[in-house]
Amino acid sequence: MVAVKLIPHLLSWAGIVFVLARGVAGRRSTVASAAIAGFTAGVVSVSVLFRFFQGDTPYVIIRDIVGGSLLLLWGVSVTAVYRSNVREFPLSWGGRLVDTPFRTIIEVLAAGILAGAISTCRFSDMAGSALPLILLVLAATAVVFAAMAAEKFLPQSFTMSHAGLMAIVVGLLIFSASSLIRLDLFSPLTMKVMKFAHDFVHQFFESMLIPDHLFIRDYLWGYIGFLFGKEVGFWGGVFIWFTPVILVAIAIGLERLPAVAHIRQGAERRKILAAAIRARRIRLVIPCVAAVILAAAAYRSCFPSVEYWDPKPVPVSADPSGEIFIPRKGEIDLEDGKLHKYLFKQGGKEARFFVLMTPGGKLTAVLDACAICKPDGYGQAEGTVICYYCRTLIPLETVGKPGGCNPVPISFTEKADGVHIDGLKLINDWGSTVQATSRIKGEGK
Amino acid sequence: MKRLLSAVRDICFSRALFPLVIGFFLLLYIGIAFVTNDTLTELMELTRTNMFLTLMLALLPLSSVGRIAAETGTYLTRRRILSGKVVEVPTELFDENVRLPASSSFAGLQGRLNAVGYKTSGSASMLTAWRGVDSFPARGLFLTGTMCLFAGIFISLSIRTSYRGTVIEGEPFPAPTGNGGIVERIVLGRSSGLFLSKSLTMEVASTGDGKAGGKFGIYPPSRYEGAFVYPRYLGVALVIRFYAPDLPAGYETHSILSIYPPGKEAGEEITGSPYRIMLTMAEPDDGSDPFMTGRMVFQFKLLKGKEVVLTGSAPSGGEFSKGGYRLSFPDSRRLVITDFIQDPGVLLIWSSALLFLVAGGIWLPVRVFAPRREMMFRLESEGIRAWSRAEGKSMSHEGVFHEALDTLEAARPVT
Repeated sequence: MVAVKLIPHLLSWAGIVFVLARGVAGRRSTVASAAIAGFTAGVVSVSVLFRFFQGDTPYVIIRDIVGGSLLLLWGVSVTAVYRSNVREFPLSWGGRLVDTPFRTIIEVLAAGILAGAISTCRFSDMAGSALPLILLVLAATAVVFAAMAAEKFLPQSFTMSHAGLMAIVVGLLIFSASSLIRLDLFSPLTMKVMKFAHDFVHQFFESMLIPDHLFIRDYLWGYIGFLFGKEVGFWGGVFIWFTPVILVAIAIGLERLPAVAHIRQGAERRKILAAAIRARRIRLVIPCVAAVILAAAAYRSCFPSVEYWDPKPVPVSADPSGEIFIPRKGEIDLEDGKLHKYLFKQGGKEARFFVLMTPGGKLTAVLDACAICKPDGYGQAEGTVICYYCRTLIPLETVGKPGGCNPVPISFTEKADGVHIDGLKLINDWGSTVQATSRIKGEGK
Repeated sequence: MKRLLSAVRDICFSRALFPLVIGFFLLLYIGIAFVTNDTLTELMELTRTNMFLTLMLALLPLSSVGRIAAETGTYLTRRRILSGKVVEVPTELFDENVRLPASSSFAGLQGRLNAVGYKTSGSASMLTAWRGVDSFPARGLFLTGTMCLFAGIFISLSIRTSYRGTVIEGEPFPAPTGNGGIVERIVLGRSSGLFLSKSLTMEVASTGDGKAGGKFGIYPPSRYEGAFVYPRYLGVALVIRFYAPDLPAGYETHSILSIYPPGKEAGEEITGSPYRIMLTMAEPDDGSDPFMTGRMVFQFKLLKGKEVVLTGSAPSGGEFSKGGYRLSFPDSRRLVITDFIQDPGVLLIWSSALLFLVAGGIWLPVRVFAPRREMMFRLESEGIRAWSRAEGKSMSHEGVFHEALDTLEAARPVT
């Protein structure tokens, strides 16, 4: 089963080696050895990380590094546009660095380390066993040789710009990461954008002395309210996701054609220009493919092939003193590591919450909603719970802690027989935190 | 010192400075996002309080000024070159720069260029051809807008001061520099505007010591003693009298309650007692707005500890009594919770929006329909030198330029 799940990672790895072999043409043996060394280093580093850090930390580190690569791509793509557009852009030292073998080794090593690290996360639950990791490195080595062999079949006219090469390598790494829900980047990105949009609108209103919603027409406030919604997070995420590859394509499109004014034969001039335009069009293929790969990664993030554990809320009631009691064992076993949802109704009001035993062995009770998003609730998968509204993953270790998109903690008493919750306080907690968000963003489910 | 000044000038004039500083703040934002959810607020606070970050932010308007100076210089130099006033031609001013091996004349070329839509001028030793409109004015406006925007943000973050006051009918206007004239009226009305649904006017009388009064509305914000008057929330200043069986002496308070719109709840603690009154403004059955009409009815909930002991309602000037409890509202006045903001940056940011709008309005049609294309031919001792540049439609322009060179080449006398 793990072998099947490794397919996207190995395919991405094959793609990375394939484009690197062509992108740094003439240095095939350097690419092959640096790729294998990098991948092995990535596998070893992550297995060490899993040995020394518990919980979500290794995933967070790897995800942040993959996110950093997207950021780096942003920098490279903006620079590429400037270089194509601005004649006196001062990058001569950078240009010199780009053409050195040192750069080739660093790039291939870095790509290999990241690809190896991401693939190793598939084996996180097999900690301590070296055999799967050795098999992974052997498979990756075989993929390197296969990709190098396949690259020879590409026509020689197929070239790529340095920014294009980086775009596709980063795209493939992100695609590989998106196969693992805990390394997924797109959904957390949309969440951050949503928060930024909210903060920006608030700060903009304050800074520009724009009147509050009290004085603004409803239709206009409806449009402004749109800026606080999930759609803005999604489209903002799409913008950040795809802009670097679009900029790379624009940079290629803006590349200056060779100066031919000194040639006095019109046919010769046209031939040179046509060849340059053709080469430029071929170089556009790579950013276009990178855009498709990034789209696939975003799609996997929005529609992950993961079954979430999401039980139907069990109705509960309070005793005359207003206390809700949930037994530790019984029809539902609170200690089975799964989240268990409950629905409490009182006086026309209701509150949804769930109880969960964290990996640390402590029971925790939280609302089935966070303080930021519309109360669409949470599902559970692969050591995390996921907010259905913004698709942010919350590690199980942090469920019960307040802040961000974490489910809102509620006060409860854990006794030997089970969990005791104050019903009135629960209703009030739901009312004060959750209804505020649903009023802004529409009704929850 | 001279070298230092030269280095500073080079940095300010550099195109790389602006994206580098923006990139730096982007990285900082991302870094802060790892540790807090209120990233933007934290970044603003950090930039406001940290001298290094404030100086980094100041580089943005400085860079814009540098670019305005540099690009104006480039533009003027190019104009002088094309008019023949300057002989030395820096290579970076043109896209192409060609030398034809032998001398020739421009006979016939001027007519050909005119025929394909270029305007020409020149002398026996020089020919200049151009068509379209230069995008420099739009670029200049854009750079000025950028300068205004970031100067506005810089000023706003550095020196913005905000003071919150409560404007109450019949009370002195709570200006930041001391009390102003008496607030004569607060009028809330319906507005037929495109953006605002309500109009609000605070009418303030002038004071005896020369402080001017005036009328203060919602938007654009009026100014009072240099500060923008920014109305935030509406409410009621309510006099509450309360008697309870265990509080026979009674209690009276002047309460500032932010209870608008109707249904919004605010509370008043009865000091030294377990009582607390929760108040809302009742929504009239006829659908009218009580703040506009002045006909206010207050719904209340009296709590003793956590227990609700009394609920009811009473109009302004009215009283409610039951079971030994008595609650009355002898006086109510409209109030507006108002921020007085001193921030010259706001005007710069507004100006930048206007400048961006004008720049975009000029640039887009110019770039699409009539981009600037220029070429220049000059007779020199060793032959002809030619320069060309295009801001758009460069393929067809280069075609014309190359054909012009071919014409000159063909006209070269056979030796």
